[in-house]
Amino acid sequence: MCGIVGFTGNREAQGIILDCIKRLEYRGYDSSGVAIVSKGSLELRKSVGEISVLESHLDKISGATGIAHTRWATHGKPTTANAHPFTDCKGEYALVHNGILTNYMQLKEQLVKKGHKFTSETDSEVLVHMLEDASGPDLKSKVLSVLKQVEGSFAIAVVQKGHDEIIAARNESPLVVGVGHDENFVASDLTALLKYTNEIIHMLDREAVRITPNTVELFNLDGETFERQAKKVSWSIEDAERSGYPHYMLKEIFEQPRAIHESLLGRLEGQEDDSFLRDQFTSIKIIGCGTSYHAGLVGKYIIEELSRIPTTTQISSEYRYSPVTESKPLVVCITQSGETADTLAAAREAKKRGCKTLAITNVLGSAITREADYVIYTRAGPEIGVAATKTFITQLIALYLLGLKLGGIKNTISSERRRVIVSDMRSLPRIVQSVLNDAAALETLAKKYKNAQSMFFIGRHLNFPTSLEAALKTKEISYIHGEGYPAGELKHGPLALLSKDTPVVAICATDHTYEKMLGNVREVTARDSPVLAIGTEGDQDLCKYAEDVFLVPKVDPLFSPVPMIVALQLFAYYLAIARGCPIDKPRNIAKTVTVE
Amino acid sequence: MKAVILAAGEGKRLRPFTYSEPKVMIPVANRSIMDYVVRSLVLNHITDITIVVGYRKERIMSYFGDGASFGAEITYVNQDKQLGNGHALLAAREHLDEDFIALPGDSLIDGRSVSDLLSIGAGYGALVVESDMPAKYGVALLERNRMSDIVEKRGEGASNIVLTGAYKLPTSFFDVLERCVEGGDYNLSHALKLYIQEVKLEPIFCQGLWIDAVYPWDLIEVNHAALANAPIQTAGTIEAGVLIHGKVSVGKGTTIRAGTTLYGPISIGSGCDIGPNVSIFSSTSIGDNVTIDPFTVIRNSVIMSDCGIGSHSMLSQSVLGYGVKVRSHLMASSADAFVNLEEEFYRVPNIGTLVGEDCAMGSGVSIEPGTIIGPKSRIMSGGRVTRNVPTGAIHS
Repeated sequence: MCGIVGFTGNREAQGIILDCIKRLEYRGYDSSGVAIVSKGSLELRKSVGEISVLESHLDKISGATGIAHTRWATHGKPTTANAHPFTDCKGEYALVHNGILTNYMQLKEQLVKKGHKFTSETDSEVLVHMLEDASGPDLKSKVLSVLKQVEGSFAIAVVQKGHDEIIAARNESPLVVGVGHDENFVASDLTALLKYTNEIIHMLDREAVRITPNTVELFNLDGETFERQAKKVSWSIEDAERSGYPHYMLKEIFEQPRAIHESLLGRLEGQEDDSFLRDQFTSIKIIGCGTSYHAGLVGKYIIEELSRIPTTTQISSEYRYSPVTESKPLVVCITQSGETADTLAAAREAKKRGCKTLAITNVLGSAITREADYVIYTRAGPEIGVAATKTFITQLIALYLLGLKLGGIKNTISSERRRVIVSDMRSLPRIVQSVLNDAAALETLAKKYKNAQSMFFIGRHLNFPTSLEAALKTKEISYIHGEGYPAGELKHGPLALLSKDTPVVAICATDHTYEKMLGNVREVTARDSPVLAIGTEGDQDLCKYAEDVFLVPKVDPLFSPVPMIVALQLFAYYLAIARGCPIDKPRNIAKTVTVE
Repeated sequence: MKAVILAAGEGKRLRPFTYSEPKVMIPVANRSIMDYVVRSLVLNHITDITIVVGYRKERIMSYFGDGASFGAEITYVNQDKQLGNGHALLAAREHLDEDFIALPGDSLIDGRSVSDLLSIGAGYGALVVESDMPAKYGVALLERNRMSDIVEKRGEGASNIVLTGAYKLPTSFFDVLERCVEGGDYNLSHALKLYIQEVKLEPIFCQGLWIDAVYPWDLIEVNHAALANAPIQTAGTIEAGVLIHGKVSVGKGTTIRAGTTLYGPISIGSGCDIGPNVSIFSSTSIGDNVTIDPFTVIRNSVIMSDCGIGSHSMLSQSVLGYGVKVRSHLMASSADAFVNLEEEFYRVPNIGTLVGEDCAMGSGVSIEPGTIIGPKSRIMSGGRVTRNVPTGAIHS
């Protein structure tokens, strides 16, 4: 879980690769480094901490070819020695790597026997020492011969002293090529490159590329060359900037009405192709990790409500190792980045088990789109904040659309009900906007609750997953121990933990579980816990039971998770602000999890 | 040359349309008013733009981003308390280290207006227009090609030369402005009044477009002017049997169904579902994600995003804010009327109804011309509205 960048052109590389790598900080930021091919030498600089630390004590290195890396430690601690790039014993090559080599121990032993001196504890360093020993007429053939011997996942970029070429390759870790004018790029993610070019070539597994300032040569790991057209990406760099907002997370929360609108565009008339949903399957399994898993949990209720197809949701890394059962469900894989290692592996496993797979992802051309049989894109635009917000909302939208389609195919919703649902979905951007308009009230509430050590989030039915997601948001950005719980389960344990110092956030949608929720709120207040109840407009009872109340606009209960989670995202954000937390870069976690 | 746009105020006189966003963000021809201001600057190669934001600033920041999609580099400066436009301009001081242009974000202008202001060359000046209603604005007194005095709003008969609020100024103006603000006077024209004693400020007569929406019903005219210059986009699905006359723009993902007639200029946003058999006449703007059901007639109106209008409705010379939902058979026709705005009555020719955001109406509602309906209000089925409805009220 790291980010890599490479540049070769006719201008100074240093500023450009630093600028690009900064945009990959979301992939990890515990150490970073650059290597620049300078006149007569190969210059390496590394440091621990965010990229701004590296930048602040970097001297000027002249050279028009360079690579950079931002690291999130997997093998070896975050130290300067373990930071990339690595170089061989003679200082001939420099290499950056994202991924995990599974057979590096054996390789390292052999290399050490041959007398190679290792400077780090990482798996990645073996590659560059192997390169030193590799034979071949040029860098390309040497890299290919090295990659034949390694097992595991990698996206690498290599430079050589005195050369203006970069060789990059991928297997199970993301890599894109950016095509510019008299300059070319490689990077883990296209957002790193958008400032410089929007002509992007997506690389697939076991493919490699050789770039020079004027050429892009694509080949597979067997050395056979091939052609692929660059795609023009419509995301602009502006999309990836904070534009006036103090944090990406807040910017992205406020972009949700637009993201919902975009995700619905042209999809409500029922004219899209749905033939793939007419295949034979009698059940659905949704898999995902983290926030995507929570979207999947909501998806279970949506799909069962609209189509009556039995649906289960499972965490990707658990599905993968679960026993093969008789049924062959449609497997819906949810991953924002499309590169989540656990979900990719689970999708492969599902295919192996003979299931059809449907991916829900935000990134065009990402790895999951090549693994899955069918794809529904969420149209959230790039999300930089580590805490997922607009991508979660658009995943829900994709699941509502899926439920609606399945309901149509299974004939479980009448045309009138369908009309009402479509009209309700159209009102969602507006409803979310209304919640955002009340952000100041949530800021005030957050200030009141900021000193909590631990906090419970309870909900029922569709809003049980909402409570899990709200707890996750709170955990990851405000570092308060948040615990999501089905409200009915409180009395089976967690009540023991409640006291006047453990606030409880109760999600009280006006649906068939409302009365029960009120009962739970009473249960909690009886233990002296302060209660913040999130209800819907027109609810006049809630304030009798809860200490604090925040009301969201009224929607059909089916859609209640949408306004509820937006309110709770804001609550978590303002909690983190009140506690002075580094919101866009929480400790120990990264945006895209490309390790298992 | 740098520019600063003042966009921090709410624009209270435009209520109910400033309930959740500032006046500068009100859409005409499907772009916010300030969108035209930013584009006019970029047309004149002024790309370093500072926007002073305050009231509901997120709406502005989410819309303009960092300016890249407008070809500009936008910096935001926050004015925490909206004390006055002089105070707002002072907030941008550190970003303005050379001669600059200051513009209000809430007047519709075009590229010509900005180039008029630039035509002064090395000197400094204020963009002015002759107006037959000077009482609504601050006016300038002229003395041989320079401004000798500035008189505040409602100065009777003093001059018909109106200040547009657009200026070209040197940084030395900030010293005067700072003194005023520190003395508790936050009004920009008061500081200018002092400043013209020291430095020559030329009046520059605006040849380009300049329209300011002072009252909410002015939006209909501003929208008309904006539509005249709006670019045309043709996307979406237009079914067979749709009749289109004149300039009609349709956004992506929009469906226009059979039997619908569109007489331009009309601008329709993205993701709308219109028809079948709807008639829309000039000059009408319809935002994003709007549904209009069969047999509805709309003329010369502004329908903002996320509205839904049921079948058999009639809407003329009207403005619907965001997310207004109407069941069916709405009668909102237009006539000359007296409009009650904050307990003052204005005689407005040919006006329909002005509806604030998220208002919900049942079926068969009929609304008297010149009525203002507050945001988040509810009008029950069969309701007959003859008087203004306050925010959040239920009218049965």
